[in-house]
Amino acid sequence: MHIDKNITIEDLVDEFPFSVNFLSKKGIKCIACGEPIWGTLEEACLEKNFSQEEIQKFVDELNGLKNN
Amino acid sequence: MAIDINKVLNTLGIKEVNLGVSTGQNWHKTNGAITSSSSPADGKEIAKVKNATIEDYEMVVNMAQEAFKEWRLVPAPERGEIVRQIGLELRKYKNELGALVSYEMGKIFQEGLGEVQEMIDICDFAVGQSRLINGVSLQSERKEHRLFEQYQPLGIVGIVTSFNFPVAVWAWNSALAAIAGDVVIWKPSSKTPLTAIATQRIINDVLAKNNVPEGVFNLIVAKSSVMGDNFLADKRIPLLSVTGSTAVGQRVGGIVGKRLGKTILELGGNNAVIITPHADIKMAIASTVFGTVGTAGQRCTSTRRIIIHESVYDQVRDSMVNAYKSVATKIGNPLDEDFLVGPLIDIHSVNNFKNSVSEVQKEGGKILFGGEVMEGKSFESGNYVMPCIAEAENHYKIVQEETFAPIVYLIKYSGDIDDAIEINNNVPQGLSSCVFTLNMREAEKFVSAVGSDCGIANVNVGTSGAEIGGAFGGEKDTGGGRESGSDSWKIYMRRQTSTFNHSEELPLAQGIKFDF
Repeated sequence: MHIDKNITIEDLVDEFPFSVNFLSKKGIKCIACGEPIWGTLEEACLEKNFSQEEIQKFVDELNGLKNN
Repeated sequence: MAIDINKVLNTLGIKEVNLGVSTGQNWHKTNGAITSSSSPADGKEIAKVKNATIEDYEMVVNMAQEAFKEWRLVPAPERGEIVRQIGLELRKYKNELGALVSYEMGKIFQEGLGEVQEMIDICDFAVGQSRLINGVSLQSERKEHRLFEQYQPLGIVGIVTSFNFPVAVWAWNSALAAIAGDVVIWKPSSKTPLTAIATQRIINDVLAKNNVPEGVFNLIVAKSSVMGDNFLADKRIPLLSVTGSTAVGQRVGGIVGKRLGKTILELGGNNAVIITPHADIKMAIASTVFGTVGTAGQRCTSTRRIIIHESVYDQVRDSMVNAYKSVATKIGNPLDEDFLVGPLIDIHSVNNFKNSVSEVQKEGGKILFGGEVMEGKSFESGNYVMPCIAEAENHYKIVQEETFAPIVYLIKYSGDIDDAIEINNNVPQGLSSCVFTLNMREAEKFVSAVGSDCGIANVNVGTSGAEIGGAFGGEKDTGGGRESGSDSWKIYMRRQTSTFNHSEELPLAQGIKFDF
C-alpha cells in the first residue's frame, strides 16, 4: 500500500504503525482515548495548519520510512 | 480457576474467520477487507473478521428503514419483552462474554463480568421503562381543548462504541432505543470486533424466537473509509450516539450538526478526586486507587487528578504510594483472577503513557511511583505498564489533557473547598468528579450551582464507574450527551405536542381574531 494524503488515519495506524510516532513529533496526534482519530492524513495536517507543501513532504518521508 | 479461551470462543460461536455484517438473525457474506483482532494480554491473534463494504452498508441501512416501519407499530411493552429476553440470554452467557471482553480488550475478568452485568442491568431498566414511556397532559388556554405531549419512535439510531467498554455502551443505547421503537446500527471499535459479533450471536436466538423483523438490531464491522463521514452525514439516521475522544466528537458534532441531526456524545474526561481535611482518608485512598488503576486507567471516568488539601497532602501521598506498591504485584494476565490490572490496549497507548510520564517531568512534575513499561515473562506483549503517580500542577499542558492510561497527578491545594472546586473545574473536560469529606457544608457546596461543573459529581464515591440508573454523561469537551438511566430514553424519541379541539368553536390562541 502506498501512502498518500488521502489515507485514513485508521489505515495509517493499522498498516504503518511507525507513522504514529512520526506524526506525533510534528504535533499531530493520531490516537486519542486509545482509538485512531477519524479523517484523513491531509485533514489531520490541515487541522494543525500545515501547508499542502508540508503535507506532501510528510507523505514523501512516510513513504521513505516505509521502504526502509 | 484458569479460563480456557478456546472453549469460550467455541461457546460464543467465534470462528477463525467471522462475518462482520448482521441484520439481526442473518449474517451477510461480504467482500470487505479481512482484519484480525489480537489480545493485548498476550499479543496473539484471536480471530479474523470480514469487514463490510459500502454496498453492505447501504443494504443494512435500507433494511433498517424497512424494519423501522414495522417495529414502531409493536406496542412498547412487547418491545420490552424482547429486551427482557435479551437480558436473560446475556445472563446465560455472562461468564463467556465477560471472558472474551477481558481477553480482547484487556480489562480483568471481574471487570469483564461487570461489563456484562451492566448490559443485563440496562435490559432490566429498559423493560420497566417500556411501560413508562409517558407524555404529559397540559391545560389549554382555549375552552374545550386538550393540550398534550407524547413521545414517538425516532428511526435509525447509529451507535459507535469504543474499545474500553466494547459491549456495555451498545447495550445502554440499544436497549433504550429498542423499547422506544427505534432500530439500531452498531459500528463497534475496530480493536474489539469479536465481542460485538459474540453479542450479536447471543441475541440471534431471541430475535428468531420472537419473529423480530430483520433490520431492528444491526451490526456492521467496517473501516472508517467505508463507514465514517458517510455514516455521520447520512440523513436516514436521525440520531448518532458516539463514544470516543473529544477529537472524534468534534468531527461527529460538526458533520451531524450540519444536517441538524441529533447526537449523544460521550467523550473524554479529566476526572478529579478532591480530598479535603475532613475526609475519611482510608476510604478515599481505597476508592481512588480503583479509580486510577482499574481498567488500567482506560475508563472515561478513570481518576486523572487528585486534588489534596495541604494539611493532609503528605498522608495521602504516602498512602497512595504504599497502595501502588501493593498493586505493583497484581499486574498481569487479565484472565488470571490473581491480578487486578491488565494491559493497555496496544503499543500506541503504551507510547502515549510513556510520553505523558516524560512530559510531566519536563514541565516540572515529579514521578513518585511507576511509569515504566513492564518487561520479562508474562509481559511479552509489551502492553503492560507500571501505574504512575506524579506530583504536578493543574496548569501543566499535560495535566490539562486526558492520557488514556494509568497516570494520576497529585495536586496540592490550600484554602477552602472553593479553591479545590476551582482546580477541579479548570480543565477543558467535564465528565466525572468527586469529593471525599465528612463535612456537610463542603459536600453540599461541591454539588451546588457553584460546585463541580461535571456531569457526574459524587460525594464519598470515586469518579470511576456509574450505576445504570442515573443519566451518564458530561459537559464541556465531554460532549454534553446523556445515556443509560433516568430520563435519557427521551433522546431516542421524537417529542410531539398536540392540541385537540372537541368544541364547536374555532378559537385561535392568544385570543387572535381572524374573521373572513
